[in-house]
Formats: sequence, C-alpha cells, structure tokens
Amino acid sequence: MSEAQLDFAVFGSSALAGLVAGLLASQHQRKVAMVGEAQARYRLPRTLDMSVAPITRPETWALLKASQPDMSRLIARIGGRHALRRVDPIFFADERPAREALGHFAHMARAHGMILETVPPAKIGTGRTALRINDAATIHRPVFEPALETWLAKLDIPRFAPETATMAPGGAAVIKTEGEVLTARRAILVDDSAIFRGLPSRQWPAPLLRRQHATILTASNRHLASPIMTQLDSGITLVEHEEGGMAAMGPGSLGVFSSALAVLLADAGQLQQVGQVGYETLIPSDGAPLLGPVASDGPLILTGLGPIGAFLAPVLARWFAGEASSDEAEWCEARRADRRAPEHSVAEFNFPIEERAA
Amino acid sequence: MRPQTNRLPATTGKGLAGVHIDRTRPIRFTINGRVTPGFAGDTVLSALLAAGVDTIGSHAGRPLGLRASAAPAITYAAQSVAPEHALPMERTPARDGAEYRVVAEGPPPGLFARLFQPGRTLGLRLDAAKGLARPWRSVHGHLVEATDLIVVGGGVAGMAAALAGAHAGLAVTLIEASPHLGGHSGLFGTQDGESTPEENVATLSAEIAATEAITVLTHAEVFAIGEGMVRMHRLDIGGERVEGQVIDLPARHIVLATGAFERLPVLPGNRLPGIAGAQDAFELAYRYGIWPGQSWLLATSGNPAYRLATLLAESGMALDRILDGRDHASSRYIEFCKAYGIRQFPGTVPLGIAPGAGGRLLIELPHGEPVSVDRLVLCGGWQPDLTLWHLAGGESRWNTRRQRLEPIGEVSGLMLAGSAAGHFTRRGCVTSGIHAVDRLLGRAGHGVDDPVIDAIYETPDRQMHVADSEDATAPTYLDADNTLMLRPAPPPRRRSWHIFRGAQTGPVRVLSEAPQPLSIGAICAGVGIGLIPPDSAGIVAQERVALVPLARAKSSHAPAAQDFATVPPYLAGRFGTDAVVTTLRHDLSRHLDSGALIFEGEDMLDPRRAVGVVLRSHDGKTEALVAASARKVIVRDLGQSIPAEVDI
Repeated sequence: MSEAQLDFAVFGSSALAGLVAGLLASQHQRKVAMVGEAQARYRLPRTLDMSVAPITRPETWALLKASQPDMSRLIARIGGRHALRRVDPIFFADERPAREALGHFAHMARAHGMILETVPPAKIGTGRTALRINDAATIHRPVFEPALETWLAKLDIPRFAPETATMAPGGAAVIKTEGEVLTARRAILVDDSAIFRGLPSRQWPAPLLRRQHATILTASNRHLASPIMTQLDSGITLVEHEEGGMAAMGPGSLGVFSSALAVLLADAGQLQQVGQVGYETLIPSDGAPLLGPVASDGPLILTGLGPIGAFLAPVLARWFAGEASSDEAEWCEARRADRRAPEHSVAEFNFPIEERAA
Repeated sequence: MRPQTNRLPATTGKGLAGVHIDRTRPIRFTINGRVTPGFAGDTVLSALLAAGVDTIGSHAGRPLGLRASAAPAITYAAQSVAPEHALPMERTPARDGAEYRVVAEGPPPGLFARLFQPGRTLGLRLDAAKGLARPWRSVHGHLVEATDLIVVGGGVAGMAAALAGAHAGLAVTLIEASPHLGGHSGLFGTQDGESTPEENVATLSAEIAATEAITVLTHAEVFAIGEGMVRMHRLDIGGERVEGQVIDLPARHIVLATGAFERLPVLPGNRLPGIAGAQDAFELAYRYGIWPGQSWLLATSGNPAYRLATLLAESGMALDRILDGRDHASSRYIEFCKAYGIRQFPGTVPLGIAPGAGGRLLIELPHGEPVSVDRLVLCGGWQPDLTLWHLAGGESRWNTRRQRLEPIGEVSGLMLAGSAAGHFTRRGCVTSGIHAVDRLLGRAGHGVDDPVIDAIYETPDRQMHVADSEDATAPTYLDADNTLMLRPAPPPRRRSWHIFRGAQTGPVRVLSEAPQPLSIGAICAGVGIGLIPPDSAGIVAQERVALVPLARAKSSHAPAAQDFATVPPYLAGRFGTDAVVTTLRHDLSRHLDSGALIFEGEDMLDPRRAVGVVLRSHDGKTEALVAASARKVIVRDLGQSIPAEVDI
C-alpha cells in the first residue's frame, strides 16, 4: 500500500463543497480530494444556492457583493450559461417580527445596490408584506452538478465514497481505498450530512443545533408570484421548477412541514405531493455561519451559510489557503467555530423554530 | 352498440373462458352515452375492453392504450364530478342499466368528436397534467374502529398472513383492491409437488371465509399509510349504486403483501392500444374471458410470459413469434413452447412499435421486415411493489444481479410479505405471510421457505429497453401507470432537429425535476436506461413516492408574545456593546420603516458606518437602536435623508 499526502479532503456533495475544493486546487494549488456521493442531483433538493438571502449584517452584504460577480462568471464557465438562472425572488412576512426583519433586510439590500419592489397584496395576499429582489442569481442544479463533476475531474480532484474516509488527530482525514491510503492534512466538512457523519461529538461546537427539515415536491398547474419565494415567519422556501411543479423546503418534520405548507398554500387548492423527504439539518443558534476549526485538533467546518454559501466559495477558499484579504479574514475569523463569543455578536436573522442541541 | 368482439368463446380451455363472468346474465350500460354490453361479473373496464374499447384517448400526439393500471375515473352520469363520487373503472362492478361518464381534466370531446371518433377510444385528450388523476386521493378519510392486524393485499401471501393473524388471536382486516381474493399467482404455474394456484387460492379463500376473526374488504385500495394507520378507497357494492368511501383504519400491526408488478419494457410506442403486459393479458383472459384480436406477438425478458403462450396454444390465437431480450434463457415454459412449435428469437428486442393499418400494430425488429399483429404482449420482468413500503418510510436498494429494487431495513409495526418482500415462489409467498405475522408478534416462527429453482434451469428476469431514438414515431413511456411519465428527451444534437422533434419525447430533461411522482416502475426504467445511478435508485424511490399526508393541516405559525423581542438578536452588537433603545424626534409627517439606517453625517452611505437603525414606528413614535454617543443623526429611508435627534 502506498501513502499519499493531500492538503485538504473536502467532505460533501453540494455546490459549495465542490466549488471550495475546485478553487483550492485551481486558484491556490492545493492537493485536494472530495469525499461524498456525486449524485445529489438525483435526490430532492435540501438547499437552494442563491445570491441573496435575508441577511442583516452589513459586512456580510459587502463580502457577498464583492464576491458575486466573480462567482457568477465561474459558475457560468463551469456549467455554461444555463447553469446560472437569473431570478427575481420574493421574500414575504406575515407577522410583526418577520415584517421587521424584512425591513432590516430590505434596507441592507438597497444600501448594497439591490433593486427591490413592493409586491402588491393582490399578488401575494392581503395582510402580508412582500418584497421582490431584482436580478438575483441561482444555481440551476441539474445543469451545474454534472458540469461541476467534470470540472473537478479536470482538476484531478478524485472523489471517494464517505465510507472510505475517517477523521484523524489534528483535524486530518485518512482515506483508505484498495491499494491506496491518502492522508489529508485537514478535513473540511461542508454539507450537514458530512458534519453529522464526520464530526466527533467531543468537538461539536455548542452553538451548532440540529433541526428537522423537510422538502416536498408538489405538482401544481398554478404559477407562483415568483419562481423563488421565502416566508420569513416560517422559513419555508418555495421553488418553482421550469418543468412545472414546485419544491418547498423548510423547517419541521415531514408531517409538520406538510401541514404548514398546506396552510401557506391553502388558496392554491389541494396539493398533490409527488415527492418528499424529511432530514436533519444544522443551524447555528445565532443564525450566523460557523466556519473553520471546531477545536485546536478538530477538522474545519462550513455551516450555517444558507443559500449564499456557494457565492462566497472564493472567499472561503482564500481563507483556508491563507490568502484572504484583511476584510475577508476579519469576516471569517469573527465567525470561527472555535471562537464564537457573545460579546462579539455576528448574529443574523434566524427563522424561528424549535431546535435541539446536538 | 359494439358487440363483445374481444370475448373468448365460452369453450376456451385452460381456464381462459372467464371465471368471474356469468355468460347467462348479459348486461348493458352506457358510458359517456355509448351503450356497452357485458356480463354480470364484469367490471366497467373489462366490459369496455371486451367490447373493443382499448384506447383512453390521445397523449403526446398518439393514442394511449386503456389498461387496469391507467384508466380514467368514472362517475354516475347524474352525479357531480366531486372527488367523493369518482369511481375507478377497473374496480367498479358494471351494473345493468347504469349510466356512467368519464371524469377527466382537460377539454371534453366535442359533439363532432363524439359522433365520429373511432369506436375503440374514450376520446380523452390527456396532455393536462392530471389527466388520469385519482380524485378520491384528495378526500379526507372517515376514521373507523381500529383493528389488530391489517393485511394489505389478498394474494396467497396476504391470505396466509391473515389466517396466521387470526390463528394468533388477532382481529384481522384483509384489504384487496380487486373484486376477488387470489392475487396474481395464476400465471406463474406450479412447481413440482405443489397444488395448482387455483386449488391453493380456493383452499385459502374457504378457510378465510370460515374464520370469523377475519374481515375481508375487497374493491378497497390502500393509497396512504402512516404509523399504525392506512387510508383506503373502498367501494360499497351492496346497494343499487356503487358508492366510494375513503376510510382511515388504525391498527397495531400492518402486513404489506402488495405483490409484484410487471415492468413496462422501455421501447418507442410501448403504450399504444393493443399492447398489454403478460400478467394483464392472462388475468383478462382468466377472469373475464377477454383476448383482443386473432394474431399476437410476445416480447419478453421473463419466463412466466412463456406460460401464457402455452395456455393459449390451443385457443386458435395465432402467436407469430416470441422475442426474448435474453440471449440464452432457460425455463421449462420455454421448452413447452418449443414443443408447441412456436418460433422463438432469443436475444431480440423490438426496436419500436407503431400503429399499423386496420388498428393493428407494426412491430419493428432488428432484422427483417416489421411484423403486423393485432396484439403485442410486452413483458419486462417483475418488480416487487414497494410503493406502500416507501410511503411508510421503508428503504430499498437496487439489486444489480436481479435488476430490481429490493426492500431493506425495518419499519416499526410493519412487515412485508410475499413477492413484495422479494420472494419468488408461491410457497415462499405463503410462508413469508405467516413469517411476517410471527415477526410482528415477536415470535421466532419457522422462517420463509422459498425454493427458488436454480438460475441454470430458470433464468432470472431482466429489464428490457432500447436506446433512445430521435426517429421514433411514437412516445416511449417509463411505466404503465397513470402518471404517463415519458422518457426524458435527450439533449438535441442539432438545433434544426430539435425544432422538428414534435412530441416524441416529453419536456422533462432531468427525472429528478419531473413534476410527477416517480413510480417504482419508472425508477426501474430510469436505472435501466441510465437516467438514475443504481446506487441512488432506492433513495429516489423513497423520496419520489406520491405521499398523501394522513395528518390534518394545523394552523400556521403564529409567534407567541414571548417571540417578540425589543431588540431582535440579529442586531446584537451591531452598534457597539453600549447601544441603547431610544426614540427619534423627527418630522412626524415622515413614517420611518423598520431597518432604516441611521448615520451621523449626511454624506455617509456605507451601512458599515451606520450608528443605529430604526426598530419600528408605532403610536407616532419611532423607536431606534443607536450607539450611545449618537445625538443629531440622519435617517436614510428609501433614498431620502431625514434629520432626527436622539431622545436622551
């Protein structure tokens, strides 16, 4: 058996995981391997990759604004022009706390050059506050994921099944395959499933909570007011598919989420569920991302980034490579998983839901 | 009135004269105004098929065959089209003098179309998304008293499970979708030392009838399942009119003996009228004495279909040839067919099927001229029906050797039995039914005895499919069910070709994004033609099953009073640790929105330099969170600068 050395083993199947791995290899000349199934696109979506989210911290907006043009170009270069879809998502709120959060988000978005329109009640329902964000970008998963695999292969980034990898002391990872042992100096756990599987419980960051989530795919002939809509009160996101039908994602067990969805879409008549999955996801207690080392001898993690994670991939890759700008490094350091301190809050808007400690 | 052109003579041997119909009691009913004859014992569907109505209408620009797994719902002509009045024509007994009409979305056929449409079609246009919807799936269930054990499926495994439950002292409800117990074992014949399937079913049926603890519900299809509960659509056939009812039945234990279904080979034109699966074809003949046309061709990749050829060998139906997708298949039924002198072509799959002259089918072969026949029996092997298993949260995995999805793991309070559990033989199914009850009761039992004949003598089933072709003249479906899932379109090779593709293939390019449930059949087909990696098939099957939630909708999220914080957590630390909540004094004609940023200078725009933010405005006051040092400030709201002073 031979033993080879890698700089990083990136655990995950998401666009964020693939982009971080690819950027570490292509932009920072690191030796990288991926650990995770490459077939996420055959499953119902658990997450959405979009260039906007209900962010309320100006430094996050500034970072996103700076990163997005390059990232959009990279996504288009990897997957072609159909890999990136331009959308005008709607964020809406019913109750006072969520309306206020929507107000904070809207002012922050406008201050960073986004154009927002108020959606009239006739289109969204009376007693509801809704804003349409013009010209956001979203990754079109069915087109992008196969292209991402091709890109990673061209960069000589191998992919290994999760069963082959184990965590090692010092945040390293060991990948054992037939006839080969690969040691990565640092493991980067990106997807929630990778963190659940790979992060030792003794290294689990206290602010990182488990939350039940569900995705439901429905058949519907009715069009949404926008292809992507998020309700801030509940955290439910609705995504209309080009081929028809709609995917809904949000917090709660499958039964609870299904009921919540039925209430939200009561005007749309009977919903026909054509696909559904319940799963556990991770949510930092303060809504802010948790990044980097979980402990002095633990792996690196990337979690709590929400939809914008993929659009921050270059920043995160630069930080892991030690090549981040001072603003980028400051933002990342403030969100380090091992240094989260209440006196230096970086809390973001968080969908209200019962969580439980992991 | 169309005569019963597709009814086999009453003298047809091998049990193919129709055991469930009474030829001495003719009936007639109307459907969409068309008079249809039949016999007592017919379902509405079987009477239509016997009268030569074998087409639902058009889909993707081509005629679509009528079959039990894809038939439109009906209702009595005098009733509304409300979901609770809809009935499945494949389960509804045909009644003399009844007037039915078809329930379907999409435009109804106009007068001209109804007058001049060919007699073999119901005339529906099915391109609407829910063309073949089952309306009762949207009806909430009527909760009835709980039972100890529910057995879903009245085949030999389900019957054995029901008896085992009753013998263990349980109150049992046995639920069967079709009008009769017995299941689908008839086609599969007999192994050495066994009784015939008919004898076996008769014995079990008699024992069940004599067992008071077993309640048998026929005409009842389970379509949703939750923890300790099933939801079924049951037909009450006791009155003058057949009435449907949706029932929620709770139970401590559930056995799923849902059997196996026959896969649809993935070929262009695979759902044209005149095409049937081997099991469907056998059961139409066995139960109702139906066999359309005089000539037929069998294309198979499974052995039981050969038995159909032997059963019909002396019926006068001309079997042109048998095509087998496997190169060197072995079976005792293959040998019997050779003994009958039937032409066999191993390693041969039809390239496609097209409508031919005179309502016949034109079957394109890899070599030689196309073959024209009245009927094509297409058999793509068998797949355990795991739909309810997946609905209940059960998992499955693709077995590459057997080319099928098989169940894995356990679900609390639930057991699979029979061919749904992956067993092959009748003995295996019966013993697995008993074993399932033993397991539910925590007893060791005797295990399952499934004496599978060695693959050297009985070659396992294989899937049948051909490569996608842009030249195909008829659409390719992935399954024979009511979702009408078309083979996803390949990427166009040239734009000009794309323009002229017409409707040969569906608009869906990626199966995972299809706005329909993915049936297990479609997933098997997807694996076969490379759309779904085998490793993902189990997950896709579990995620893409059409789940009907059994829980009632609850009220929407209404934040409790304590949810509301004066300073929301996401603003913590934004303006320093000594930031205070205060009110702003400003021109009261201006309402300031939550989130409006507060600066110390008029020329400041960067949100990172803000010293505060408006929290909310109420009762003419504007509440804000500002840095402790801020006094005279500028509030930026929708592009305007509003001077304000911080109240100290």
